[in-house]
Amino acid sequence: MSNIKAQVVVIGAGPGGYTAAFRAADLGLEVVLIEEYQTLGGVCLNVGCIPSKALLHSAKVIDEAKSMETHGVSFGEPTIDIDKIREYKDGVVKQLTKGLSGMAKMRKVNVIQGVAKFESPTSLSVASDSGTQIVNFENCIIAAGSRVVQLPFLPDDPRIIDSTGALELKDIPEKMLVIGGGIIGLEMATVYRALGAGITIVEMFDQLIPAADKDVVKVLHRYVKKQYDSIMLETSVTKVEAKDDGLWVTFEGKKAPKEPQRFDRILSAVGRRPNGDKLNLEAVGVGVDERGFIAVDKQLKTNVANIYAIGDLVGQPMLAHKATHEAHVAAEVIAGKKHAFEPQCIPSVAYTDPELAWVGLTEKEAKEKGIEYSTGVFPWAASGRAIGVGRTEGFSKTLYDKDHRIIGAAAVGVNAGELIAEMGLAIEMGCEAEDIALTIHAHPTLSESFAFSAEAYEGTCTDLPPNRKK
Amino acid sequence: MTNLIQVKVPDIGDAEGADIIEVLIAVGDKIEKETPLIVLETDKATMEVPSSDAGVVKSISVAVGDQVSNGDVILELETQTESISTAETPVSPVETENQLEVVTKLDAEQAKPIENKPPEIIDILVPDIGDAVDVDVIEVLISKNDSITKEQSLIVLETDKATMEVPSSAAGTVLEVLVKVGDKVSQNDLIGRLSASANSVPSKESPQQTAAQKGPEKASHTSNVVQSAPINSDRNSPVPDHPHMKKKKSEGVIHASPSVRRFARELGAELSKVKGTGNKGRIVKDDVQNFIKFELSRPKATATSGSIATSELPTIDHAKWGEIETQSLTRIQKISSVNLHRNWISIPHVTQHEDADITELDAFRKSMKEEAMNSGTRLTPLAFIMKALVHTLKAFPKFNASLDNDGESLILKHYYHIGVAVETPDGLTVPVIRDVDQKGIYQIADELGEISAKAREKKLGANDMQGSSFTISSLGGIGGTAFSPIVKWPDVAILGLSRNKMQPVWNGKEFEPRLMLPMSLSYDHRVIDGADAARFVVHLAATLKDIRRVLLN
Repeated sequence: MSNIKAQVVVIGAGPGGYTAAFRAADLGLEVVLIEEYQTLGGVCLNVGCIPSKALLHSAKVIDEAKSMETHGVSFGEPTIDIDKIREYKDGVVKQLTKGLSGMAKMRKVNVIQGVAKFESPTSLSVASDSGTQIVNFENCIIAAGSRVVQLPFLPDDPRIIDSTGALELKDIPEKMLVIGGGIIGLEMATVYRALGAGITIVEMFDQLIPAADKDVVKVLHRYVKKQYDSIMLETSVTKVEAKDDGLWVTFEGKKAPKEPQRFDRILSAVGRRPNGDKLNLEAVGVGVDERGFIAVDKQLKTNVANIYAIGDLVGQPMLAHKATHEAHVAAEVIAGKKHAFEPQCIPSVAYTDPELAWVGLTEKEAKEKGIEYSTGVFPWAASGRAIGVGRTEGFSKTLYDKDHRIIGAAAVGVNAGELIAEMGLAIEMGCEAEDIALTIHAHPTLSESFAFSAEAYEGTCTDLPPNRKK
Repeated sequence: MTNLIQVKVPDIGDAEGADIIEVLIAVGDKIEKETPLIVLETDKATMEVPSSDAGVVKSISVAVGDQVSNGDVILELETQTESISTAETPVSPVETENQLEVVTKLDAEQAKPIENKPPEIIDILVPDIGDAVDVDVIEVLISKNDSITKEQSLIVLETDKATMEVPSSAAGTVLEVLVKVGDKVSQNDLIGRLSASANSVPSKESPQQTAAQKGPEKASHTSNVVQSAPINSDRNSPVPDHPHMKKKKSEGVIHASPSVRRFARELGAELSKVKGTGNKGRIVKDDVQNFIKFELSRPKATATSGSIATSELPTIDHAKWGEIETQSLTRIQKISSVNLHRNWISIPHVTQHEDADITELDAFRKSMKEEAMNSGTRLTPLAFIMKALVHTLKAFPKFNASLDNDGESLILKHYYHIGVAVETPDGLTVPVIRDVDQKGIYQIADELGEISAKAREKKLGANDMQGSSFTISSLGGIGGTAFSPIVKWPDVAILGLSRNKMQPVWNGKEFEPRLMLPMSLSYDHRVIDGADAARFVVHLAATLKDIRRVLLN
């Protein structure tokens, strides 16, 4: 059994972990990065954000090509070579993970493959096929991420898959049930629907993507309703029977069909849970709450002085871009910098079609927190650019506090995920509605819709019907 | 009783003939107020038309593809009488207000989850004490079964920077005290437990607690843990308010960009205290810099060093040279050593010496001594000197002043509170006699006696030692010919008195035996010129030579 020493050891090489390791190395620290799997990048790069976006791009082009018929351009029916789509996606993943390994080498980060478990507040054991190693460390950053929540009543059947299985893209089922109307479920539904699958969505809450505001989600709902076989809100699955002719599913709730329904495939996408339970944290006394989250302070310190935690493990939102920012802070704090993780906002994006994005407070949250606010809304039906591309269903919305400072923003429509970034900056910089309205945005762009929403809030928008006195 | 009403298309702007692209309800549906009924599409926008009332849909008058305008009937609704409002009024203002009120009430209740509960046990924690960890507990001011009020001091902590009292965040009876003198504590350590008196735990008093509950990272805090009120270490400090400091902590989000927030954190500036000079109070980097610059330059009440960098003293093993004994300094000694050091290095000192002829004064005092004794007053020379001093201070107001921290102005004081240095077994203390100008010599003498006794019995409160405008240090009872007292900031001068003695003085014809009092006036040369100082001591000496001068103006 060999012994390794490190100033900083990072557990998990997802976006949070590799970022923490690289940042620590850049700050002159000796770093060991432990990853359970053979490739770096974690869920995000291997079986999450990145491959799903590669597939979503295919879906988008398929849909757009089809929609060109109304513009007078016909491509005919697409031929889909599913093996080639998969190959392309795998190529994207490979390119990125390989790039990561190279970057780790350049930074002299010692990457160890294996499963890490705490032995003491200053040591870890790392078990792999080639034996067990002990890593002694001065500081540790836990970035072990999260895993898919398994529904206990689902039978063990290859036709029942999670997001990882869905990304493997074995084939295109005729009838696919997606359990969970959250971002992950809807993105995979978007891909499979474009490739020809019939989609049914079942969601326990009274709206898709429950975290987002109802008005925003409604646009997406209305758009996908026409494309899917069925969307069942306030409904849940009570039983799944795996038979030879298919998966027979019994539903319960508001929109539940009386008889069990048959599906060829079930995608279970009901959420993710933190991996805090896999690290033998009890050995060092790092506190984990009942949902498995590790409590940390603003500097990402756990209750044990030299142990830090970042990413999905420390709480919602479970997003790669939250983890990478936390990673910078944790590494910098270890290097002696007085930094802290204190953003005003973290954006969320659903890469569905249309895309849905929000940042800062939603109206829902503002109400819960008792914050007085008003909104400015600009419907894309009044946007020349949106009309030009034939996608006018969306709108942009900004929320302001009583001092007219922006506290939140949301958009639904094509490219909403890209548009939201500007509003994140506006929130961080403490912009007021006037600042946004007076910032000249290029015309015609979708991005100007946010400027128009600020104008709408101010009552100065001339691209909407005249303001009537309230 | 039921009632049939018509729900009509509301005012949808000037749009005439909007297309109905979706009908969202069916006959027989039970709908709430605000339930969307139909979706309209104009050339500008898509909008949902909400119901103006609750009820059961009896009939629908429109279908997808229809064109509707303001006032067109959408459907007929069967409503309960209680909930009738006219179809034309989407939401009556009264109802809206009521709803708001309910919401506010709910909010208020949620905001104070603890307040309405019966008496309960409260954990009192060490509040945010800055970056300090493992801080020494130097005093425990409460004991079991004490009944305490909110804001009452519980324990005294001492860091290398400051001594601070931790006030209670709640009122109640002390159930147990979990710290003792000599313990080291950090933020969130348990000080003790209280049995709260009813309604004594206002949630507002502990902003950190509220913040902690809101912050995701502190979700594990249980609801009945109440942190002690944050320490306001400025409270007892004589340091005036910061020019870059806000009077009030900012509410809500701080108006500063991410880079400025990080900059402030790196420098240790608390942004909620920084006043923003940018547009609409935005905090810019310069504001943080100015705040820090001022913090560094202003003399701290208890800081160990001023702006002058001194090289660190090497550690010496004294035992190498012989037998030694280590005696810990008393709290008073530690505090005064810090203050004296700061004053010594941050104030440019000059000491002016002068001998005052007190032959007649002392003769008068002695002649009155017995009479005074009969009324219980011990008539000391100091009481006379203080009266004469105030007379001189009135003639030289600059000496009864403080230099403003920005170095831009002098704060002249129209009160005459004279500090008197008193030696006690634990160290030097400086109690203050107030309004000496308004008091007779007997009264001054009485108060001097009282306050010195109080000092020796260690019964002086903070209030007894604050607010002096000038200070006297008298070593006359012991001896010595002259010394250089250190100015007691924020005063600008201090008068040292040595032992008086009979000396031959040339009166122009011959040497005369005169009782001479050696005076040493140390002053802040930033405020006072040498010539002024010389005039001051000459004036004071003249007053002492003939105390009747006090009567003249």
